[in-house]
Amino acid sequence: MSTELDNIELRPARRRFLKGAAALATTLVAPGVMLYKTGQAANDNGKSIRWGLVIDSNAMSESDVDACVSACQREHGWKTTANSATDAQWVRKVSLRDAESGHQRFLPMMCQHCDNPPCVDVCPTGASFKRADGIVLVNRHTCIGCRYCMMACPYKARSFIHEVLRDQLPVAPRGKGTVESCTLCVHRIDRDGADAVPACAEAVNRGDRKAILFGNLNDPQSEISQRLRQLGALKLRADMGLNPGIRYQGL
Amino acid sequence: MRLRLSSLPLFLVLGVLLSAALSICGVNAADQSASSFGQIVIPAPAKPVDASHCVEPVEVMRRDHMKFLKHQRDTTVLQGERDSKYSLVGCMNCHNPTTANEEVIRYENPKHFCSSCHSYASVKIDCFECHADRGLVSSQQSNLTLNSDSRQLTAQTFNQKLDPSRVD
Repeated sequence: MSTELDNIELRPARRRFLKGAAALATTLVAPGVMLYKTGQAANDNGKSIRWGLVIDSNAMSESDVDACVSACQREHGWKTTANSATDAQWVRKVSLRDAESGHQRFLPMMCQHCDNPPCVDVCPTGASFKRADGIVLVNRHTCIGCRYCMMACPYKARSFIHEVLRDQLPVAPRGKGTVESCTLCVHRIDRDGADAVPACAEAVNRGDRKAILFGNLNDPQSEISQRLRQLGALKLRADMGLNPGIRYQGL
Repeated sequence: MRLRLSSLPLFLVLGVLLSAALSICGVNAADQSASSFGQIVIPAPAKPVDASHCVEPVEVMRRDHMKFLKHQRDTTVLQGERDSKYSLVGCMNCHNPTTANEEVIRYENPKHFCSSCHSYASVKIDCFECHADRGLVSSQQSNLTLNSDSRQLTAQTFNQKLDPSRVD
């Protein structure tokens, strides 16, 4: 038992070590290659940014979660078809039910924008990548559609586009043969920075009641950091050491 | 002997066909000498809405637009730089805008700004298998509801514009 726990504890550390070694090598060979700074990160005088969400499940009814999903569909132009096995799933509704008490609650489940993303580890072409501000994305220009990342993701957050698409939206280019997932509304973040509101949050937040709070996890003064410090929140499957950027309250 | 007799009409028919074909070619050659390019249609892409300027001079754009777009695509995807003047959405906003009452011109249509030259030059690209092949309605041109950023239509209004009968 103790050896198992040790292994779990060691894995992220080992990964960090290997990553550090790789980054060092890259810096020596070609300085700057690994330093993907985002526009917003550059504007912020190099202060480190890690975007994340806190989802308050106490404040979300089933209809709120449905509103999240449909807002994401409207924003990015994906939709549910009759074939649920191959449907796009940028965000989906997950229901949790306590068998004993019958208590039920609903959560939006999307890409968790991990700090140690397994999808990035397994990608053979480097298409699956983590931006400097912590957003995990698929670069569809280099994605070959092998779907290793879909198998590696413990949250089942990614989906594959099986059919030829038409009428894609300018903010969300997507096409057959590539993998896709929640982008944390990256086009809004690149435009508005810390003031950005992802489409799902926009759909459920009313006034001061912020069921989904977006912000910079690395800034101790940000609203999201203060809420986390005050109320705490759960990382899903924290035992895997992936350190997701999406946190859930009230579970 | 029997074989030779039976093949004679066949030769006659072939001869008539050959002479007919030659005469048609002769006519075509005469036509082509009249108009120097014959059936080849030189592309004349439609002028953009605001024809006063492009992001670079026309000669530069003709030769190098693909380099600008490829550079821009990497900085946008990897670094989130979306304000560059070389964005594909920016091209489409001017060169193939979705206006209130006109038909939507898709890339398959030879009248599309990009495909008019690409088909002439035998260039096959797959930008528009993922990217939108038409621009957005600017706030001045349309009374549609725009969201906080005037450059961006909400998906619903955008889709209704493409297909007014559709209800999302």
